Formats: sequence, structure tokens, C-alpha cells
Amino acid sequence: METALHGSLSMSGQLLIVDYGMGNLWSVQSALRYLGRDPVVSSDPAQVAAADTLILPGVGSFHKAMDALHAQELTEALAEAVLGRRRKILGICLGMQLLAEKGTEDGECQGLGLIPGSVDRFTREELGLLKVPHIGFNHVSATQQNRLFKGIASPADFYFVHSYRLLAADLPGEPGLCRYGVEFLAAYEHENIFATQFHPEKSQTNGLKLLNNFLAC
Amino acid sequence: MLSRNFRLQRVGNLEWLQRNYNFAHIAFFIDELTVLDVTRGERNPDAFCDALKALTAGCFVPISAGGGVRSVAQASQLLRSGADKIVVNSPLFDRPGLVRELAQEFGQQCVVGSVDMKRDRAGGYRIITESGTRLVEQEPAGALYWLNEQWVGELYLNSIDRDGTGQGYDLALLDQLPADCSVPVIMAGGVGNGAHLAVGFADSRVDAVATAHLFNFVGDGLQRAREALVNQGARLAVWPALSELAVALNESMATA
Repeated sequence: METALHGSLSMSGQLLIVDYGMGNLWSVQSALRYLGRDPVVSSDPAQVAAADTLILPGVGSFHKAMDALHAQELTEALAEAVLGRRRKILGICLGMQLLAEKGTEDGECQGLGLIPGSVDRFTREELGLLKVPHIGFNHVSATQQNRLFKGIASPADFYFVHSYRLLAADLPGEPGLCRYGVEFLAAYEHENIFATQFHPEKSQTNGLKLLNNFLAC
Repeated sequence: MLSRNFRLQRVGNLEWLQRNYNFAHIAFFIDELTVLDVTRGERNPDAFCDALKALTAGCFVPISAGGGVRSVAQASQLLRSGADKIVVNSPLFDRPGLVRELAQEFGQQCVVGSVDMKRDRAGGYRIITESGTRLVEQEPAGALYWLNEQWVGELYLNSIDRDGTGQGYDLALLDQLPADCSVPVIMAGGVGNGAHLAVGFADSRVDAVATAHLFNFVGDGLQRAREALVNQGARLAVWPALSELAVALNESMATA
């Protein structure tokens, strides 16, 4: 199999994909390997707490995911790595949503509290005739300040599949925006917290570039 | 595997595909990939999942997989092997309960309903299942009732007669769908060149155009077809060329 990069990047430290039983780990792994990295996939709280760089993927229900993170003692491990040791984390799709304060899917519950706001379903008023889930490629706009979008056109196309969304109101960090009936938070970054509602590992070269930007910053 | 009027042609294994059809290159010109296990007789799901993982390792778009899916556990295995969506065919007609279960377990958007149709002697259309061996008795509009049941997120509609012929889509298949079908339609069967893709796209009932003809994976035909569609105003996703990415990645390596 050919890869775009030859040799390895000189960055040190363990790149870890958090496995809590939900999410297409293989695709995320494949994308990172394509970029010349060798990620570890782990559900071990000790490894997660000690990791250098974290990726939190996710597909499915917010509530089920938070239950899984709690049950596997991963919430404390993530707090240690991200808040304690200030390591950088990228939340993807449901993984982005889990970084929020709370979610209302399958009953309200607390998220990891790293991004202000609540994850709620697209409303009928917002959607009009549009259907849920929001599925397919859509345009994402970002600014010069967004480290994730360095060297990526604005707007650029990324692949979405979700029924719930965060809105972009009053956030301390830099948003990436997309419109689906309503303008919602497509990406976010603030200090060591990074997140995308879209799937960079499913967004062809735009996504690979974004993943590489995350790894490099 | 290339299919021609539902007679399978063995073309080679994964390495052969990668060597001869430059799949690693083509993968950057498609929006989505569908991989089906069309093995006749006893299937080996583990071997298929291994092949799926290898094939999709360099493919950074949504991936649908299926062929012989008969349980939620099997679907789960596919989803762990790189698939984002599950394709089901025969169960739509002989085990609809399974399709409903898959939608409940993984979400409606995770299920793709695949339907093969062929013309009958009277000039009408019939649905055909079980690798082309079983005709569904009921006329298509009735047999496709499940399109309104919220079990299936997309419909992959294939013409058995045109499949592998390179003669273009049989758009009359679209007339067989229930009138109020709101499920997005992926048209398949018969693409020989980029013009056929454009014809499919021009029909407002078609939401996506598919080709399985490996000939379309040779050279830059698919790339040129995509560019032509975009230039004609088709609202396709756009992303930079792989060569641009490679330059950017090498630059970031140099500064790391």
C-alpha cells in the first residue's frame, strides 16, 4: 500500500485514539497512518491519561457514549490528560459533541465540559423541509486564526453525518461554521481543545490536510 | 469482481486490483465507495472483512459494505472493518425484520437498500434477488413498500440488464419506484463512460451516480468525468488534488 509520506515525522510522544466501543476506529487509524504516524488504539485509562496527543472519535448516541466513558473510567483519564497535563485533543463527530457541557440525546446528561454549550437536535424550525440526519459533503468556513484550517480553502467541503449540533454562540475559541438550515458549529479550537463535527477521515484531501494540521500544531 | 449480466468474471485479487487499476489513485476522485461480497455459495465473512480493511486503508470517503449480511453481528463486524454503512439486498424482500433491526441498532442512515431489477418478457420490470436466482413475485412498486418505513437511508438501484455492458443506465428503473419515495437514489448498472454519469445526474430523480465497471477505474476517465460534471454545474464536493496534499505534507515534514 502506498502512503503519501515516507519516513516518520520527528514529533515525539504517543498519539492515542480513544476506544470506548463506539466509533469507526479503523478509518481514523488509516488516515493517521497515511500521514506517517503510528497511532495507538486504547481503552486503558492509564494509557489515555499518559498520552501525548488524543483523538476522540465517535458514532452513535451521546448518552450511550457518556455512559461508556464513565463505565470504562475514561472521563477521569481524559480530564487528567487534557486539563491536568494540557495535552491536545481532537474530538471527531460524536467525539466533538462529547467535549461539550451537556447533550440532550436520549435524555439530558453531562458531557466532558471542554466546550461551552449544549448538543441538541436540529429543530423543525431550523430545518424547514431539510431532513435529519445532515448527511453528505457541505461547505465549512473558517478564518486565518483557525490552526486546523491552515492552508485549506474557506469554504471547503467536508463530510457530515449527524442529527445533533452545537451552536456557535459566545465561544472563547475559534469556530468553523457550516449551514444546514441553521448556522452550526462545524469545528472548534481553543488552546489544546480541537473538534470537528464532520469526519476529516472521510473528507478526502481536505480532511487529511486538517488532520495533519492538528498533528503539527 | 466484475459482473456482466450477473455472470461473474473473476478479475483478480486485491493486489491485482491495486496494481492494474491504480485504485489508490482513483480513490481520490469518488465521493463514496461500495464494496460487496458477491461470492456464490459459502461466504467467508472474516476474509471479506480483512480484504475490506486492506482496500479501505487508503480510501478517505464514506464506505458502504455488504453482500450476504444476515445478522446484526455480521453488520457490526463490517462496521469495525472500515464500513460506515451496511448494504442489504435479499433481506429487504425475504427478511425485512432484519433490515428494521439494523436501522434500530445503527441508525437509518447506516443502512443502504440494494435492489436489482431486470426487464421481463412482457416488457415490464421485476426485482431479482439471491445473486440473480430468485424473481420477486410482487410488482416493484409494491415490493418496495419499505422505502417509506424509515429502515433504509439510501437506495442503490441497479439494472441487471445493463450491468457490465457499458451501454448506459436504464433510467426506466426509476419509473418503478413508489411515487412518494423520499429516499435518496444511487443509480447503478451500465456506465461505460463519463457521459453516462452526466445523463444519470441530469435526471432529477437521481441523487448519486455509481459505476462498478472496472474499466472506469483505468486512466483518468473518472477524474475527467468528475471535472466535467462540476464544470456543467453539478453540485459535487470539491477537494484539492492529491499532489497538492503531498506538497503540503512534505512542507510540514521539513519544518517538524
